[in-house]
Amino acid sequence: VSDRREKRGGRDGKRAVFIFLCVLPAFLFLAVFLYYPIEETFRISMTKSSGIGAEAFIGVDNYAKLFANEEFLAGLGHVFSWAFWSVLIQLPLSFVIAFSLTFYANRFTGPLKAVFYLSNVLPSAITAMMGKFIFAPKSGIIASLAGALGIKWLGAVDFLGNPKLAFWSVFLIATWAYTGFPIIYLMARIEQISKDVREAAELDGATGWRYAWSIVLPDLGYPLRILAVLSTVGSLKLFDLPNLMTTGGPGNATVTLGITLYRQGFVNWNYGKAAAIGVVIFVLSLAFTIVEFSLGRKKGGETA
Amino acid sequence: MSRPRYGAPEVLATFLLVALAVIVILPLVIPFLFVFKTQLEFAYHPWALPKQLKWSNFAESWNAVRIDQGLVNTLIVSAGAILFTLPPAALAGYVFARYRSRATELAFYAIMIGYFVPIQMVLVPIYKMEVTFALNDTLYGLFLPMAAFGIPFWTLIYRSFFRSLPVELAEAARIDGAGHSGTFFRVMLPLARPATILALLLVFIAAWSDYLLSLILLSDPRHFTMQLRVASFMNTYGPDRMPRYAAAAIISAAPTVLLYVIGHKWIIKGTLAGAVKE
Repeated sequence: VSDRREKRGGRDGKRAVFIFLCVLPAFLFLAVFLYYPIEETFRISMTKSSGIGAEAFIGVDNYAKLFANEEFLAGLGHVFSWAFWSVLIQLPLSFVIAFSLTFYANRFTGPLKAVFYLSNVLPSAITAMMGKFIFAPKSGIIASLAGALGIKWLGAVDFLGNPKLAFWSVFLIATWAYTGFPIIYLMARIEQISKDVREAAELDGATGWRYAWSIVLPDLGYPLRILAVLSTVGSLKLFDLPNLMTTGGPGNATVTLGITLYRQGFVNWNYGKAAAIGVVIFVLSLAFTIVEFSLGRKKGGETA
Repeated sequence: MSRPRYGAPEVLATFLLVALAVIVILPLVIPFLFVFKTQLEFAYHPWALPKQLKWSNFAESWNAVRIDQGLVNTLIVSAGAILFTLPPAALAGYVFARYRSRATELAFYAIMIGYFVPIQMVLVPIYKMEVTFALNDTLYGLFLPMAAFGIPFWTLIYRSFFRSLPVELAEAARIDGAGHSGTFFRVMLPLARPATILALLLVFIAAWSDYLLSLILLSDPRHFTMQLRVASFMNTYGPDRMPRYAAAAIISAAPTVLLYVIGHKWIIKGTLAGAVKE
């Protein structure tokens, strides 16, 4: 009742004040911890800066030096091959698991889904701890199993200390830890396919894997592409597991962009170079995000 | 669809899936085989059942990195992250859902920038800023940026949630004389309880699991969070003395695993809500 008596200007004023007060806290946080730091990252990346003494503007010198730096190039190479193999190994694996779980839905499906997702919620420090638990020379699971079974050569393999194996050992642990998400995501999508479609397919004789290949898979084009982009962007940011399990070593065998950033910024205290690596990570993930959106648009109404 | 019996392919597929699930969960089970043994017993009979239950390995690894101190710190950080993520996100999400105009849409996209910026990009400026204001190496210096990074995602979730609520509810409240804030706090926010529970759970897990930000921002070992202590245990004590290492693995994984056992339906639902939104 009181609303009607108010003048229109007063009502709009109250509305505007309410809107302003509601978005203010979020914007304050983002201004301090995001917008300002983004601007600062670009600026610092063009300076020679160590936190002590004055910063000197040096243009694109940091970037030029990075692309001649062995460790940075190793990191760049590793995140790209990490992304490539994640898409090639983890996605098909999760499709097969997600499809089997939904196709043969029975009393085991719920518990199995919960088990497959469990390792995704473990903190990365604990995942890394499990990784060392499996791969540690002499006392690790593989080494002591090999000892118990008398397989000498297997017991002598140093999974994390051998430069040729370290990348793959960390990758295997990551597959263990991160395949749960694509599984539950694809399961949700597959469950949306109507029962009519499945029954019609069965009448046409498309059962089991024929059905998976010719009906389900084409329907998952969009979510699969999203997952591919997510794991690519995730690879660009990769830091926790390789830093915890191998600290990027042996040598540069498991260095990632995140690890070079950490070393430049917080071990060598070279802020300029670290900020430049941050910009590289940002630009690359922006590129992949744009790809994600343009792929999404092609399919019409769906939004990411 | 009623299916009277299990066909052979279904039995085979289910068997393979169960076998795979056993492999997946094995790394979390095997430590229990090792943890009750002495180092000597482990060296000779790693795979035998323990002869007696020896609890001292738990105490040893607990004391080695002061897990108690880590628990307190991590609980403070998680509480802080929740306290500073949820209210701003709920308020902003509500406005973006119910007060749509060109200006609020623009504000929404400005906040969504945060959803696409990798934390790695802003680590250096944030560290420098925290040093300037003496915030580094404090727990609030850790949970404040953590909250800032969580706000965009939870704004998005709250926005979709408030949009899914019927408009009539808010209109009824307005007719009853409730103002803008009254409608929000007394009618809409209580209705958003499912979103709030999800946010509580997942923000807690994220804060609990953080490694990178804690590593950069904390330097005094007394301030270390759980994950930093796990990492320093791994580096200092290592897996050479496996029973003690297994004890540390069990202690540090237990809280997350317990929370997951209780709330896995919510956790999976919430994760999917974020991924398949709208």
